[in-house]
Amino acid sequence: MKILIVEDEKDLCEAIVTYLKSENYICETATDFKKAIAKIDVHDYDCILLDITIPGGNGLDILKELKANNKMDGVLIISAKNSLDDKISGLTLGADDYLSKPFHLSELSARVAAIIRRKNFEGNNLLKFENIIIDTIAKSVSIKNKMPELTKKEYELLLYFISNKNRVISKNAIAEHLWGDDMEGNNDFIYTHIKNLRKKLSDAGAGDYIKSVYGMGYKFSAS
Amino acid sequence: MKLFSKYNRVNIIVTIIVLLLSAVLYYFFLEAALIHQLDKNLFIEENEINDFIKENKELPEPTNTKDEQEFYTLYHQTIARNISSIDVYNKKEKEYTTYRQLEFPVTANGKIYKADVRKSQEEAEDMVQLILKITLAVVLILLITLFIINRFVLNKLWKPFNATLQQIKQFDISGKKEVQLQKTNITEFTELNTAVHLMTKKANRDYNEIKNFTENASHEIQTPLAIIQSKIELLSQSENLKEEQMNMIQTISETTNRLSKLNQSLLLLTKIDNRQFEQNSVVNLSFFIQKNINNYEELIHAKEITLTKNIQPDVTITMNETLAETLIINLLTNAIKHNVENGSIHFDLNKTSLFICNTGNIPNVDTAVYFERFKKDSDTAESLGLGLSIVKKICDIYNFNISYNFYKKLHCIKINF
Repeated sequence: MKILIVEDEKDLCEAIVTYLKSENYICETATDFKKAIAKIDVHDYDCILLDITIPGGNGLDILKELKANNKMDGVLIISAKNSLDDKISGLTLGADDYLSKPFHLSELSARVAAIIRRKNFEGNNLLKFENIIIDTIAKSVSIKNKMPELTKKEYELLLYFISNKNRVISKNAIAEHLWGDDMEGNNDFIYTHIKNLRKKLSDAGAGDYIKSVYGMGYKFSAS
Repeated sequence: MKLFSKYNRVNIIVTIIVLLLSAVLYYFFLEAALIHQLDKNLFIEENEINDFIKENKELPEPTNTKDEQEFYTLYHQTIARNISSIDVYNKKEKEYTTYRQLEFPVTANGKIYKADVRKSQEEAEDMVQLILKITLAVVLILLITLFIINRFVLNKLWKPFNATLQQIKQFDISGKKEVQLQKTNITEFTELNTAVHLMTKKANRDYNEIKNFTENASHEIQTPLAIIQSKIELLSQSENLKEEQMNMIQTISETTNRLSKLNQSLLLLTKIDNRQFEQNSVVNLSFFIQKNINNYEELIHAKEITLTKNIQPDVTITMNETLAETLIINLLTNAIKHNVENGSIHFDLNKTSLFICNTGNIPNVDTAVYFERFKKDSDTAESLGLGLSIVKKICDIYNFNISYNFYKKLHCIKINF
């Protein structure tokens, strides 16, 4: 899976690359408008992370260029301009998703995974982790032919965990993923959700994959 | 009061007073002039009588018509010349008639007489009255004309002003629609239009500068925050972290998160202040509330909060969709966050008002300040204290009336649309 990161902030770019690389994505970066255009003209990417404010031009113009050339690359806009106009025009121009800065890398990774899943449709709607199989179209989970009844948020939580497997995910990141920006300071609620999900998974015969990491959050891993 | 009415009122009152005063003066002057004329005629008569007596050595024949009377009375002493107005009873017509009378002494045949010459004042008075009537008619016509002129001509004159006023009312601060001012050949209005044009241009420019500044400020702050947050996340993936380090990472992470939320909330407030959410549409509030209740359902359930609702279906309101959603989410999350275990939330929505009540701790601060920025109860330290001021700000720009009450251990917020 090839990803292009168009972002002029080197430090942020590096962090994204480090995180995504360990998910086995191949990452390329472009720090300005010209470099970005040069790259998209030559290569096809599974997903492009696009900052709107970049030196030498507007990120939205890169999006227009892509669409004009009938490129099928998935596009995730990452912008500090949390402005509605950018979001709407971005999505109208054909971006797949929009994420405003600052974001959690785990959120970014989950969104990228979702875009890639949608783009490469055939057979990719099944997500596997050990004996857990998630059908992202039917939004159902099966474990050894058993179908645990998950609530909507539990399903989202499981999908988020699997998209960020073997990673420490902070409680804040989880809270934001599940309820948006507005539940800050209420991470205790997550505990109840985690507890319920853990119980449902183990009842269905999956291993205890959700590990709490002291002080920091949770980690979904088999080992 | 309209300028026109005010002007018209003053104008008409002054006109009436001046015209009536001049009519009265006119009446007296005219009457005096006519009497003067009568007096002159009486003196001529006097001369004629004196001349007649000188020539004929006897008194002329007395006359007695309705208009003029001359008669002589024998007097033993000379009387003073005297001129006056008298009322004389006319037996024939059985009415009093006003005469101008001149009394003077004459001597004929060695005897002294008192001569009375009278001329009727009636004719003169009739004339005065006629003239007065004509004058009043003229005054009336003048008043009506003035009124009509004021009404139509002034209305027409003020047209460019009203057009400019209309444009100012529809003025769009974001500068999407430029102010269209009518050309006029009236200097004052041209000056007004020039001033309005300059002012709106400046307002548009300043507004856009502020808008850009807030956007840029956001960009400048959010990007370093994004870097910090992503680096912390990478750091937290490191193996073999000590407990102490983990705690530190957690604290940094949460603080960064709070800082970023704070920045976003302040930005939102600034943007609402700057009226950057202008695109209104018809928003189905019932649907929005239900949608968000569904979104937070599990959270409400996890806290074992009982949610009751009485939502009238399809209550619509014209406002910005993002703000409508922000309003609902803020109210709902506020009710969840500040609730207690086994508490309750109640939603009530109808066409005129939204009512949300929730259980919670007894307020520690004066509840009147809840809508102010950064005012919060000390026991919920993680909360920013901006949620309700955002709610208030949104209500303000749409002129919704919002009130807060703590009653029977329930925090209640009511919004009247």
